[in-house]
Formats: sequence, C-alpha cells, structure tokens
Amino acid sequence: MTFAERMLKIDRRIIFVVIGLCTLLPLLYPVGLPIKISSEVRGVYDYIEQMPERSVFVLSIDFDPASKPELYPQAVAILRHAFRKNLRVVTMTLWVSGTGMADQLVTQVAQEMGKERGKDYTFLGWSPGGTAVIINLGQDLYNTFPSDYGGKPTKGQPVLEGVQSLRDVNYLVSLGAGNPGVEAWYVFGKDKYKFELGGGCTGVIAPGLYPLLRSGQINGLIGGLRGAAEYEILIGQKGRAVAGMDAQSATHLAIIVLVGLCNIFYFSMRRQARRQGERS
Amino acid sequence: MDATLIGAWVATGLTLCILSFLYKDNPLFKLAEHLYVGVSVGYTIVKAYDTVLVHLIFKPIVENGEWVLLVPVMIGSLMLTRYVPKASWLSRYAFAFIVGVGSGLAIPRTISSFILKQIEDTVRPLLMLGPGGGVTFSWDLHNPASSLNVIIILVGVTSVLFYFFFSVEHTGPGRVVARTGVMFLMISFGAAFGYTVMARMSLLIGRLTDLIEFSDASYGRPTVWLALVTIGTLIFLSRRAQGEPPEER
Repeated sequence: MTFAERMLKIDRRIIFVVIGLCTLLPLLYPVGLPIKISSEVRGVYDYIEQMPERSVFVLSIDFDPASKPELYPQAVAILRHAFRKNLRVVTMTLWVSGTGMADQLVTQVAQEMGKERGKDYTFLGWSPGGTAVIINLGQDLYNTFPSDYGGKPTKGQPVLEGVQSLRDVNYLVSLGAGNPGVEAWYVFGKDKYKFELGGGCTGVIAPGLYPLLRSGQINGLIGGLRGAAEYEILIGQKGRAVAGMDAQSATHLAIIVLVGLCNIFYFSMRRQARRQGERS
Repeated sequence: MDATLIGAWVATGLTLCILSFLYKDNPLFKLAEHLYVGVSVGYTIVKAYDTVLVHLIFKPIVENGEWVLLVPVMIGSLMLTRYVPKASWLSRYAFAFIVGVGSGLAIPRTISSFILKQIEDTVRPLLMLGPGGGVTFSWDLHNPASSLNVIIILVGVTSVLFYFFFSVEHTGPGRVVARTGVMFLMISFGAAFGYTVMARMSLLIGRLTDLIEFSDASYGRPTVWLALVTIGTLIFLSRRAQGEPPEER
C-alpha cells in the first residue's frame, strides 16, 4: 500500500483528534486574530445605536439549548447594547424548549446591567401557536401575553407603556435557529405591521437568509458565532464569541489543509493508476 | 450542595458521554442520547401544560369567567377523537379548521414575502441614472443594487433556471448556459456547506469552552474526573467485547 493510499484510508478518529486539538489549543492559548466587522452585523448595531432612549426594542429568543453556543453570545451582546442605550427591552420566545434558558439569559444580563424587571425590561415567556403568536401580537399584545413569565400581568407594566401591538415596536430582532424564526417574523410580522426587523441566526441557516438581507427585508444579520464575535467587538465587550474565534480559524485552516491533502493524494493515485495502465 | 455545582457535573458528564460517540457507538452515548430526548420531551409537555391548559384555558375560564374559550377548546379536543375509530371522523372538522386558517394566513403572506419581494430585488435595472441624468455603471460589489451585482444576479438566475429546464437538450450554446448555472449552484452549495462547517465547529467550541470552565477547582474539577471515568468505561467495554464470542448471524 502506497503512502497516498494509506493516507486516504486513515482512521477517521485521527482526524477527530486533529480537529479536537485545533479547537482546544487556541481556546487554552488564545492568539487574538483580528476580527473584521461585516456590513450585515453593523446593520443591527447601527440601528440600535441610533435609537432614542426608552424606544421599544423586542428581542425574540427563538432558539433552544441545542443552538446555545452560537446564539447565546449573540443574545448577550445585543441585550448589553440595548440596556446600555436605555431602551425598553421586551423579550419573548417562540420555542417552548428554550423558555427556561431565555429567562435565565435575560435575567442574568439585566442584573449585570442594573436593570429592573417590569420597568426597564420584561420577559413575556412562550405562548403556543408559533406564527399565530406573531399575528396575535400584531393585533393585541395583552391578549397574547396576559401575564409575563413570572405570572405578573403585562397590563400596567411601565416597560410596556404605550405599547398595544407590534405596530408600536421601534425595532425587533429575532435570534432564530430555525422555524419559527427570522423568516416567520418577516412574513407574519414586519410585512404586515411595518416595524424594522433585524436577524440573528445559526451558521447553518445564514445562507438562506441572505436574500432577505440583500432585498432589504431585514436590515441586518448576525450569522453564527462569527457574527456574535463581531457584535462583541462593536460594543467593546469581548466575550465567549471572541474567545472562540481563534479556535474557529484554526479548525477552518485544518479542514482546508485536510481537503487539500486529500485532493493531492487522490490525484497522485489516479496518475499512478494511469501510468500503470499505460505500462501494462 | 449548590445547584450550579450539580449542573456542572451533569453537563460535563453528559457532554463527555455524547463526545464518546466519536470513538464508537457505546452505552454511555446511548444513555445521554435517551436522556436528552426524554428530558426535552418532558420539559415541553410540562411547559405546554402549564402555559396552555393552566394559564390560557383553566384560569381565564374559572377566575375570569371567559366561557367563550370553550369553543377553541372544543374544536381542539375534536382532534383527540382520532384515537376512537368510530368517532374519528369528527377530527376532520378540527383539521379542516386548522388547514383552512393556516393556508389562508400563510399563502398570501408567503407569496408577498418570498416571491414578489424577491422578484422585485432580482429585476433591478442594469444601469443606474446618475445625478446629472446620465447613465452610470457601478462596480461596487458591496452594494447589492450596484450594476455589477445586478449583472451577476441576472446571469446567475437565468443560467440556473435554464439548467433546470429539462425540455431542451443541453447541447451547443445551451450547454454553456447550463454549465454556467451548475457553476453558480456549486458556489451556492459551497457557501452553504462552509457556513454549516462553521456552525458545527461553533458547537464544538461551545462544548469545549464549558469543559475547560468546568475543569476549574471551584467546581471540583468534574472535567478531569469524569473524563477519566469515561475513558475507563470505554476501555472496560472494549475489553469485555473482545472477551465475548462473536455473534452468530
């Protein structure tokens, strides 16, 4: 067996170890590679940045713990930004399996930023129906969520003063890991009730959302862990996403090298076989 | 014992059990997999029960006397007649209601959002009018409305649509157009795959970040101890499998 043949039949577990080491080592010993800010992430940041104080900002946390590594840092960065700008933050989720995580996330960031529940922010929780919830919110917020996650009536909360439906929302960002997510918020929300919409998503669904971005249907898109890292850089608070970027780059480099090597070995074997064919 | 500490040990143990699949399929992985499915279904049922049955149905009816809620409850309950063969025809009313409302809501909105808006974005003019009234050509790749991007979209959309037009044989000039379409498709699939790789790596980074965090002495170093237990179990299972006679087929 030639070297090329042996390399092409290499035990997959060796590749796992290589990828594992490429991920682990940069996490333990960060290099601090530069992170370039993309225009799509800047779109979300700039919009929140120019919003006047006490504007109504809705963050829909449409993911569950399975997508936590990518979307949790995005949510933390956006919430920190919104709280720093003294916006009225209304949070909710369309994913029942993410309710507990979303509550913990919002409460934690609010406490860190010194914000008061009911006055500066609220977590409405989950309501059944998926896209129907969006339509109901466009008609009447208080009918859709009579009480918040803690059981406190939504009517009368200072954070929701003057807010009757989605038409009174200044900006909404959906952090989605699938359906219902950013697309649902556009189709059943923005297209009908005319508020500005931004999106955040996992890397897997990001390519599918670019058409919405390019046509102006959403004004910004934070894609995956990389998008979260960019947002952390923009708000000047480096967190988990920035820490993971070195590992991300190292694994990408490893994959590129492996794909390149496999192609070299493949073509060398093919040339070898052709030569042997010519000789015989 | 602090709940955070228990959480750290449970999270670390289950992460290591799941990662052990990279070595090979084993009982530790199966245990974690079954627990994951069970816990997520259990959580969903409890949340749905509390939110829907208690807070949206029971309390408004009993405490506020909103008897009108019994109408949707009754329509929803008709679905359960699927389990009674003689009465299962009643469930068709519930399904008809849901399909009707769902289609009515979704079809116009989807056509407006995904078809009309996207066509609008695709059929932009090839050249732009300048401030003085003259025609200009913009080379800016970052601007989606630039002339260069509009031409790329025109070539891409036309060639990809032609590739999927199977009534005409792809020969001569048609072959060139179809091959161009394939190139655009390959670039699109490549970008999607690249993002998918990035997403999967992000998940691995997330898990490893937690494992590093939980290797701290303040948690009792669960990563170190549980990694040793996992490796030990895998060695034990592997030795036991070697000692057993091969399965008869």
